[in-house]
Amino acid sequence: MQNGTPYNTALKYYSTDIHRPLVKADFSKAELLQNYHPDYDEHSMAILQSGSNRGDRCHKQLASILQASERAQENDFRNANIIETDVLVIGGGGAGCAAALTATGAGAHVLLATKLRLGDSNTIMAEGGIQASIEKNDTPQMHFDDTFKAGHQQGDTALIKQLVLDGPDVIQWLIQQGMQFDTDNAGNLLTRRAGSTSADRVVYYRDYTGLEMMRTLRESVLNSNIMLREYNPTIKLLSNKQGQCIGAVLHCLSNKTYTVVKANATIIATGGIGRMHLNGFPTSNHLGATGDGLALAYHLGAKLRDLDSFQYHPTGLAFPENLAGTLITEGIRSAGAQLLNADGKRFINELEPRDIVAAAIIRECVEGRGIFVSKKSRGVWLDTPTLEQKKPGILNSQFPKLVELGKKSGINPHHSPLLVYPTLHYQNGGIIIDKNGQTTVQGLYCAGEASGGIHGKNRIMGNALLEIISFGRRAGLHAAKQQAKKNKDPDQCHSILRNTGRSQNQQVARQYSPLLFPEYTGFNSSVKKND
Amino acid sequence: MTNKSDKLNSVVSLTVNNQMITAPPGNTVVQALWHCGKARIKGIGCIEGVCGSCRVLVRRHASSSVTTELACQTTIEENMQVIFPPLSRPIPHQYQLTEITNERDLYAQFKQIFPEAQHCRHCGGCNISCPKDIDVEQGVRFATDGNFKEAGALFFTCVMCDLCSDACPELIAPNYVGLFSRRVYTCLHMKPANLLQRIDQLNRDEMDVVLPKNTGTIKDQ
Repeated sequence: MQNGTPYNTALKYYSTDIHRPLVKADFSKAELLQNYHPDYDEHSMAILQSGSNRGDRCHKQLASILQASERAQENDFRNANIIETDVLVIGGGGAGCAAALTATGAGAHVLLATKLRLGDSNTIMAEGGIQASIEKNDTPQMHFDDTFKAGHQQGDTALIKQLVLDGPDVIQWLIQQGMQFDTDNAGNLLTRRAGSTSADRVVYYRDYTGLEMMRTLRESVLNSNIMLREYNPTIKLLSNKQGQCIGAVLHCLSNKTYTVVKANATIIATGGIGRMHLNGFPTSNHLGATGDGLALAYHLGAKLRDLDSFQYHPTGLAFPENLAGTLITEGIRSAGAQLLNADGKRFINELEPRDIVAAAIIRECVEGRGIFVSKKSRGVWLDTPTLEQKKPGILNSQFPKLVELGKKSGINPHHSPLLVYPTLHYQNGGIIIDKNGQTTVQGLYCAGEASGGIHGKNRIMGNALLEIISFGRRAGLHAAKQQAKKNKDPDQCHSILRNTGRSQNQQVARQYSPLLFPEYTGFNSSVKKND
Repeated sequence: MTNKSDKLNSVVSLTVNNQMITAPPGNTVVQALWHCGKARIKGIGCIEGVCGSCRVLVRRHASSSVTTELACQTTIEENMQVIFPPLSRPIPHQYQLTEITNERDLYAQFKQIFPEAQHCRHCGGCNISCPKDIDVEQGVRFATDGNFKEAGALFFTCVMCDLCSDACPELIAPNYVGLFSRRVYTCLHMKPANLLQRIDQLNRDEMDVVLPKNTGTIKDQ
């Protein structure tokens, strides 16, 4: 593999140019994905040997937690405190808060349990915005078509239809919660365009959309009757003899005690998987994004989908190395910023779908046209100075978070381009749901990144924030109406994985599931020592 | 094998909660803790400086002053002292947005919900403690003057780390005053015509979505 041009040399030859043509592609998009996108690397994939998705293609690292032994042993929680509630929500990000607020609004008693602090989530880091077709030249149908097409026509059409029809009402609901959006002088919501879409449809609050959303929802939850358990990861879902989900076991990180929560409905809103660093990629995700919800649901017998499909966001910061993986919003490309290789040439239409742009960046680097920092760190330029030249003042007014990131990196994006490389960003697939957020297990719901189906094999900007609120509310409402279960006795013998034959390699590497924290926190090794 | 002197030269020593650790230069405090196997589980969230979980007190070499920062955003330095203060949550100021319906009653309601805000001593503690350099004290003053729009605007980068609340001797909870101002202003004033028109069209079923034909949806089994 070639190294590319050293950083300082490339920077010396860089100059702004407001008329930079796009070099015509000498490859098809399909070839690009096939050869350079990490999802298409067969060495990183495995076939699941047990559980509801037996025989399905799945990323190796994900397969290892899905098929691992459960962290919780029956002895751990035999004498645990028992709490009864109508609805248990697992996860304290946007989807969890939306579900909990809606369920409590519908009169249910709600317990929200989260591994970290309420609001410590990927939601809070979302920058680009949230999709809703509200402009005159836009329709929900166009939103549907864009979403379905970007997902390589693999998405669940019923879910996408629901998503796009919910869009405007979701924005209205957020405003009622007190969330601000950027508006023009007449008070209309401003919109910007997501990559590979046909209309300006992303509403936003500067590049702090997720922060504004999360602090608002968090405050709503703190001002409600929702019972909150922070630093209480769920380590096991419980089911009765009929195979219905009847609650979960929480493990308090502070005093190491267990709590059994018995609930009529349980909603998984645990988010994504970035901190598993699939294929060794850096990630834009928060500390707790370890795919817990997938493992929990799989152990209970829920069916998952698209376990081989992940989103590598094209523009993660690649230099300085200590900030590698930090997200730079797609909004900046949407506003006109271009991507350049070491020769100062554009190599891809910056507003192609994310998987295509990411694959194109990887291709430049692999073929030696990238900018080289070290063995671990390389990338291409994100040309912010030319954008600033074209639209003076745009960085400060619309991208304050980016300017702040520049300060921290010692790179002024007004004058110097930023080095970017794809960063592991999003789990496209997940737990199968219907339009009420119901999984294939009765009594178990799911909303947000942990669920699958909406984005098919690739997600467009702004649909994640829409999904968490749209389906968070749907799941919360439907869960609140669940009848009380007649049988709330956990069935200890019930283990889907055992029933369908556990693979032999389980005994080789002992892994605990759910993972809860990334390896480098030392959390799992300290647990093992205590065994 | 790198030789020993190289190794010694390429590390930074600092203390975190009075424990000495060493890590490569350029690391943030959070990365340094991972590097030396003393990772924290609590008090770390997004690692991008927006969740406000990893607030720390920092004293730099030969400095007598202590600053408040976010551990994920602070690059380690030789002889730096870092303390993770215990997590706290200020005394709650409960309110329901649905009960705040017009501008006329807003000010009186604000005084009821945040009675302490009137007692600001202008000590500046909140400003000093803010890792985002927000003019917190001015924000509180705007709110107590009834200028909620201006108050809220000042807090637009607030990450709710609660450091200003911890610093306030009058228990004002300034960041919650800021958030209250933002939310109330939004609720009372934000009525975007383009959004409301579209919602009206949807309510009248003027916008349907037709599903594509002959495309297989993956069905539940």
